Amino acid sequence: MSGEPRVYFEDVKVGDEYTSPGRTVTEADIVIFAGLSGDYNVLHTDAEHMKASLFGERIAHGLLGLSIQQGLLDRVVPGQAVGPLASVKWKFKGPIKIGDTIHVLARVAAKREGEQPAAGVVTLERRVVNQRGEVVQEGETDHVVARRPA
Amino acid sequence: MHVPLETPGLPLTETHAALFGSLTMNRPADPTLIPELIPLCMSSGLGWRVPQPPLVVLAFMGFEWRFLKPTRVGDTIRSVSKTVAKRSMKEGGVVIEERSILNQHDEVVQSGRLTLLVAKRPTA
Repeated sequence: MSGEPRVYFEDVKVGDEYTSPGRTVTEADIVIFAGLSGDYNVLHTDAEHMKASLFGERIAHGLLGLSIQQGLLDRVVPGQAVGPLASVKWKFKGPIKIGDTIHVLARVAAKREGEQPAAGVVTLERRVVNQRGEVVQEGETDHVVARRPA
Repeated sequence: MHVPLETPGLPLTETHAALFGSLTMNRPADPTLIPELIPLCMSSGLGWRVPQPPLVVLAFMGFEWRFLKPTRVGDTIRSVSKTVAKRSMKEGGVVIEERSILNQHDEVVQSGRLTLLVAKRPTA
């Protein structure tokens, strides 16, 4: 990570906001995720079965949406401002269907002392929004962020 | 309902990290680390490999999860889960599952609670 400016716990401000680029979730994304995870639930893999379901068609795995938003947010959060994930509280509020375009809105909701003196904990509130402005997933993530070395 | 269900083990490889990284753009700076969300994602597939018919899940409603220890390329994970609560709804019922992911040293690397909407048995 040479050359990339580091962002430390001290640099993160409560109220900082990040908006990710959008990404269209495709059938290929769902097929690859089913194969990788081994989660072949009919919700994601059986188009005919899903015609008669609540959703009317196959939907993306909730955890695929979660993983995609994590990658999207990494693209806009400056140099490791949010370090490793410590915890997640998450709600799946609506389906992500094939062809939907999602992006992430995140806001620094809180900062607190961590277990180790060299790092603090940053809480991000996140909303995953589709092309119609509907919130399809939302939650909070805690991150361990290094303090500026003395 | 109260007996914990343990899945077979799964070794996590560079291939898992590469496929997941190219699919989702989750790429840790340290290439020996497995992206944090992989064990959680793999545990839902591992749940299909136990000698018990799967729950008829209508929707995944939410979860709370803690990342306790890093997972590295070459580690073998397995998942242990049990149902800790259920309540009936008009359409289906809500099931709360407690799940832990362990590595080959029997250390809990991730754990949490998942909330699932599950179908009711069709009435004849």
